[in-house]
Amino acid sequence: MAETSAAEQPAELLDRYRLNAGLSYGDLWLRYFEIGGMSNALELEAILCGALRPSPHDREVIAHALNERFVELGGNHPVPYSESDAERRRDQNGKS
Amino acid sequence: MGNGLTANQAARRCGAELTTAKDRFGKFAITVGFENARAMLAIRGEVDRVNAPEMGAILDAVIERHRSVVLDFAELDFMNGWGLGVIAARASRLRRSGGTLTIRSPSAMVLRLLDVTGVGEAVLLENPDPPRRHLGAEQSSEMSEAPLGTEPSHLDRHAGKITAIPAATDVVDGALRLVVALARATVGGADGASVSLRRHGHLATVAASDQTIADMDASQYASGEGPCVDASVNGRWFHAESLDTETRWPAFTPRAQALGIKAILSSPLLAEDRPVGALNIYSRTSMAFAPKDQELASVFATEASLVLTSAGVDVTDEQLSARRNEALATRRVIAQAEGVIMEREGVEADDAYSMLCDYSRRSNRPFRERAEDVVSSTHRLRLDPEPELRQSHNG
Repeated sequence: MAETSAAEQPAELLDRYRLNAGLSYGDLWLRYFEIGGMSNALELEAILCGALRPSPHDREVIAHALNERFVELGGNHPVPYSESDAERRRDQNGKS
Repeated sequence: MGNGLTANQAARRCGAELTTAKDRFGKFAITVGFENARAMLAIRGEVDRVNAPEMGAILDAVIERHRSVVLDFAELDFMNGWGLGVIAARASRLRRSGGTLTIRSPSAMVLRLLDVTGVGEAVLLENPDPPRRHLGAEQSSEMSEAPLGTEPSHLDRHAGKITAIPAATDVVDGALRLVVALARATVGGADGASVSLRRHGHLATVAASDQTIADMDASQYASGEGPCVDASVNGRWFHAESLDTETRWPAFTPRAQALGIKAILSSPLLAEDRPVGALNIYSRTSMAFAPKDQELASVFATEASLVLTSAGVDVTDEQLSARRNEALATRRVIAQAEGVIMEREGVEADDAYSMLCDYSRRSNRPFRERAEDVVSSTHRLRLDPEPELRQSHNG
């Protein structure tokens, strides 16, 4: 759960979180679907591979599905919920 | 291979063959050549996470010198999102520099990926006389005579993996009953055979050659010991050559002997490399299983494992089905909670969702629990004009 670098692309970042969380694409899709995700499994995989750009809402649902997994593992919502959230977190880390 | 050029034909027509790259599994190959003024890359085999970067690097090298690039997919067997990501990036780069990326002979699977992701808008498709396989996965999968039937099955296999939908239980059980019957008939010394599989979190016999054998398995599950239990849990085979001298399972061995069993051979069944059960072969004769019989039992266990793996039985049907039902129930609660928030706060659905997300995050409690709180708070509305929800959002 290392802090991500600003240079990393959003999709790569989400997929790296998925790997860190130890979730297969299928596992993540079920969790994402459970909390209201509307994309099918193929579309979710395309988003994580960078081939499909998620809507802001989709981005939020994926982030929350990952974060719930990290909370189960003892983490504290490491995945930014949106682009602006990611920027805000980077700024905070830069100041501290 | 249908119509259109194969990679080899294309390469020959193009003349100079510049590069051939093969991955370590030998399934993936790229041939680069020229066709009129266009650079032509014939992609063969499977493009996935492992070799997509290689395809990207070769595409980059070609794009540096050529504005017009053709990707020939006539011999492409499979491509997932990683390959598509590589193509999407290069297509938009080419387009920005005034070039074009053309995809020739895309399969139904590729067309569907291009369509779903919108990448299709950034590329040109070249497929003058589409063969039947381009009708769509559902249609072409029914055409057993279609020459390129491999592509729908690749798609089906992939879709099966990502959505983790297992084959129906009765289909799996039928296949396992066949394995049991074959093992019983062909393994020398076998007087009975069975398959144990973990279901509902417990081992159960899903196929047995007769009732004695089923009782034998049940006796092992009850005592929690025996070759069948050990093979199912440890994922390796256990051979009790003669129960007269067997000491590993003191509770189970006397029961087996009472039923006339003298030798047991239990081979593990694996799904996705995880132990999920065992193929058990029983004999009324000590030292009944010769090395060739042990080998045959291992072959049957491997076949049964392949059935279980392709059926997606690494979690059992029932567990997965329960998990999916749970997910659906959670979705319903969340939708209800969204509705409550939309009504109370006068916001749109996405904003209501964001608020729920925010509550869940701040309280460090799962989304489902927060949604349940919101839904149950409606029961208190008549008594409490300031529900907990409003306080927690403002607070």
